[in-house]
Amino acid sequence: MCLAVPARLVERHDEAGVIELGGLRRTISLALTPEAKVGDYVIVHAGFAISVLDEEQASETLRLLAELASAIPPDDLPPSQP
Amino acid sequence: MAQKILIEPVTRIEGHAKVSIYLGDDGRVERALLHINEFRGFEKFCEGRMYFEMPAITPRICGICPVSHHLAAAKACDAVAGVQPPRTASLLRELMHMGQVIQSHSMHFFELAGPDILLGFDAEPAKRNIVGLVEEYPEVALKGVLLRKFGQSVIAHLGEKRVHPRFAVVGGVNSALSPASRDTILKESEERLKDVQDGIAIIKSWLEKNQDYAQAFASFPCGYMGLVREDGALELYDGRVRFIDCDGNLLEEFAPADYLDYIGEHVEPWSWLKFPFYRKFGWPDGVYRVGPLARLNVASHISTPLANKEHQEWRSLRSGKPVQATLYYHYARLVETLYAIERLQELLQDPEITSNDIVAFPDSLVGHGVGCLEAPRGTLFHDYTVDEQGRLTAVNFIVATGHNNWAMSKSVEEVAKAFVDGKNLTEGMLNRVEAAIRAYDPCLSCSTHAIGQMPLDISIYARDGSLVRRLVRG
Repeated sequence: MCLAVPARLVERHDEAGVIELGGLRRTISLALTPEAKVGDYVIVHAGFAISVLDEEQASETLRLLAELASAIPPDDLPPSQP
Repeated sequence: MAQKILIEPVTRIEGHAKVSIYLGDDGRVERALLHINEFRGFEKFCEGRMYFEMPAITPRICGICPVSHHLAAAKACDAVAGVQPPRTASLLRELMHMGQVIQSHSMHFFELAGPDILLGFDAEPAKRNIVGLVEEYPEVALKGVLLRKFGQSVIAHLGEKRVHPRFAVVGGVNSALSPASRDTILKESEERLKDVQDGIAIIKSWLEKNQDYAQAFASFPCGYMGLVREDGALELYDGRVRFIDCDGNLLEEFAPADYLDYIGEHVEPWSWLKFPFYRKFGWPDGVYRVGPLARLNVASHISTPLANKEHQEWRSLRSGKPVQATLYYHYARLVETLYAIERLQELLQDPEITSNDIVAFPDSLVGHGVGCLEAPRGTLFHDYTVDEQGRLTAVNFIVATGHNNWAMSKSVEEVAKAFVDGKNLTEGMLNRVEAAIRAYDPCLSCSTHAIGQMPLDISIYARDGSLVRRLVRG
């Protein structure tokens, strides 16, 4: 599944925003979500925040992801060569 | 607390699209592979939950096209409970689905991938985005924004919460459509119909001007799969699954619930994502594509007049044979958007659309059910088995990006063959590898990055297995 992880918007400068995900920061475009405010959780696709989640939706999703993360076995990445 | 737990999803969201390219003795590209290290564990995670929770859970995990998972889950739940939703409920679910198709397709064309095409793969990365598009074609960008908003508003009229709808339930939906909402949506749909037709004109003239390039870009034969109506027309919400071969011959048509009889899943050690194939042809002869291009290829016609006219043109592109060139996905996406708006108008004009007969209640459990629809990116299957209490004991999903796993890898290989000469790797080549992947609009972590900035990790290997060159971007 696509696992669209909610990312918190920590800065906004007009149509550019900075999101934070577990300590990593990335600049994204807010052109599609003009309503996003600093502190909101957003879903990011192709460099755009494509939707804004309210607090309840975001915490519910994060809770499910936390459960999912603990249900998945530790990383054993497949080899990159056949 | 959330931060610590989120470490795994973060490594995924920051993930590179990992590509291995293998050279033959003559130094030319022989084979290329796209490795996907995602999509594990979600099915197991669902086991043990009550089946009727699925329409609420699956869209939360899959936030890129939440409505598709929401509705496929509800359809699977209907089957598990052996209940047939009232006609109005099915009409309303389909209406919400049209809203999703309109918003997803128009966003992809006008905002995400369109700039890449319209402004050129070799334009400077900072320009190849919606900002560059607004500068160069302001009216095009505006149409995209309006279309996307329109699709979202349809979903909002029905589901209230537009990101994670709570609308479809076992046996139907939980709120009726008001006549006022119907009239509002209908009124706006006329304008949007014009916008999407303008979009179609843009992509057609681009394809015409760049014909040689577009025809050659990641073009290859394979089978195609998609839903159709009883009469063979394009269908996105509820139909029969049709397979055709690379020449367009009908291979099979079956009820979605029987999918395991026809679709096998092949496992490769170098990818976490399985490779579905058409069983009768076996692996790898039975590989196929899904999504907009595949759907227009499998459909005999389209039930709505304007989209059908476009479809006739589509069919004439290769004299009735399937269109193979990957960039035509973008064209197909817009023809489907046109269909989705016309279909939305039909649904809204149905006298029963505002009825309050919207849910049927189950009185027993069948124990197993399959829900299937055409998500914007392709055919989506949800398959649930429950115990006598309704607790899930087995869950299987096949998502569009899974069906297209082989095709994305193959598209990258075709691009590599055309644009990699031995040891030479250029920025332009990287952009084209990215464009080949983006054409399928996959919901992979590497595609969360902006167009032109997809993190890529490309390794080239010589015949003897030694690493010739590695190029990492991002």
